[in-house]
Amino acid sequence: MASSATNYYDLYRHGSLGVALTDALDELIGDERIDPQLAMKVLTQFDRVIAETLQEKVKARLTFKGSLDTYRFCDEVWTFLIRNVTFKLDNGSQTVQADKVKIVSCSSKKTEEK
Amino acid sequence: MSNTAVGTVYDTIISEVINAVRVDFEENGADDSALEDLKKTWQHKLSQMKVAQFPWDPKPEPPAQATAVPASAPTTTAPPVAAPPHAPAATTAYTQSTLTPQSSAQSLSLPATPHPNPNAVAVKPEPGFAPVEPGIKQEPGLAPVHPSYNPASGARPTAAQRAALALENQYGQRAAASINAIHSGMASQMNPGNPLVQAQQVPRQGQVPQHMNPQQQYRQGVAAAIQQQMQQQMPRPRPPNGLPTAQLDGSTDAVECMSTQPLLNSNQPAVMSRAQIDEHLHAQLAARAKQMEGGGLMLPLKKAAKSHGTVTKRQSPDGPGRFDGLDDEIKSEEDDEDAINSDLDDPDEGGEEDEDDDESLGHMMLCMYDKVQRVKNKWKCILKDGVLTVNGKEYVFHKATGEYEW
Repeated sequence: MASSATNYYDLYRHGSLGVALTDALDELIGDERIDPQLAMKVLTQFDRVIAETLQEKVKARLTFKGSLDTYRFCDEVWTFLIRNVTFKLDNGSQTVQADKVKIVSCSSKKTEEK
Repeated sequence: MSNTAVGTVYDTIISEVINAVRVDFEENGADDSALEDLKKTWQHKLSQMKVAQFPWDPKPEPPAQATAVPASAPTTTAPPVAAPPHAPAATTAYTQSTLTPQSSAQSLSLPATPHPNPNAVAVKPEPGFAPVEPGIKQEPGLAPVHPSYNPASGARPTAAQRAALALENQYGQRAAASINAIHSGMASQMNPGNPLVQAQQVPRQGQVPQHMNPQQQYRQGVAAAIQQQMQQQMPRPRPPNGLPTAQLDGSTDAVECMSTQPLLNSNQPAVMSRAQIDEHLHAQLAARAKQMEGGGLMLPLKKAAKSHGTVTKRQSPDGPGRFDGLDDEIKSEEDDEDAINSDLDDPDEGGEEDEDDDESLGHMMLCMYDKVQRVKNKWKCILKDGVLTVNGKEYVFHKATGEYEW
């Protein structure tokens, strides 16, 4: 999952921020305003920046409970499908409910080993 | 953690990424406006997702931190406002586009339904039903039925009388109208003149009883003549339809082979448009294929739909018998550019995967894990640096602990 140039995961590309970026890059490539290679560089930078930002700038914590429907561990990546989840956001005891949530999680060790 | 923090975090990330790739853009020779556009489009697309409130969005309470944004703020003002009307429009467009083929498919298949089982039609020879009939009876291919099996007008009464008798036997009083119709048809037939020309312009009532009459003997007597006549008549209706001759032959034959009522069926496509024919054939083939394959399990759905055209053409010489054997093999060879044709290609697998993805698309957590523990069926994990999307809202967290039972 880690990109070869750097040691950051590209899993955040699948989040809304990454998807929006990929779409924007696609548009520019489609208009032939940038090279696909340049777009790849942008994405690589994005992998790094989002990982660092989440690590350094975000302080929020949360807990969640639910019933595990499916679990999978492959290539150091955990995938969970959890049903009836309750998220507790601890800065206002705000709770969020969801029928099911898919969790894709990469090992945090690898990033530190870089 | 809260949803409001997401906006600023994302804004930081966007700014940082843009700054980080500026050098790359310059080295690559891409102009500076491309970078600006990238940023704007990125923010704009993010705003459209509505996963959080963003500093660049014109919201009542924008977070104070909006350093790099002012330039792009005016440009992004329009998009979020324009977005709401845009979305419903797209939805309606989708529903329309999905609905239209359906409804047209229905209307297309409707006239076709009576044909495969004319017996059903014959059950309703009420006078009130007759005016509706012409929709089916107008087919030029059907008209020749009369002259061919009855070139000499002398033979005609016998058949018509037989038809009338049979109707009366079967349906009694209810068939009175049809019997009358037969007689009037007979009367017009009796007129001297060129039997062929006249027969083609035979009044509709004359036709009705013939098609309504389901008697076997009658039909057998007619069968050979109709086929003969078909060969004469088919070329005529074709050009208006713009159908290639070979194509029609193939399709008609296919229908003929497979349908339980070959005679009426094979005539029918003559007046149908190409789309109608396709529609009809598709329905029939699908139904037949399903029957023969025990619910269509043997044939991947994708292939079944794709290779439809080929089936029709190839079907013609051999008939439906090939459906379960040879035909499949040929098909898979043809369509198999992207599949290895192994069990692993089973569409079920892909479907399951898709379903999995689709279901969780709106609810997804991307993160790192520190620890994942399990004791019996109780799981506990410590996650960090994550992005969580739930119920259309996005959250970011530094650390998360989850406990769940399997």
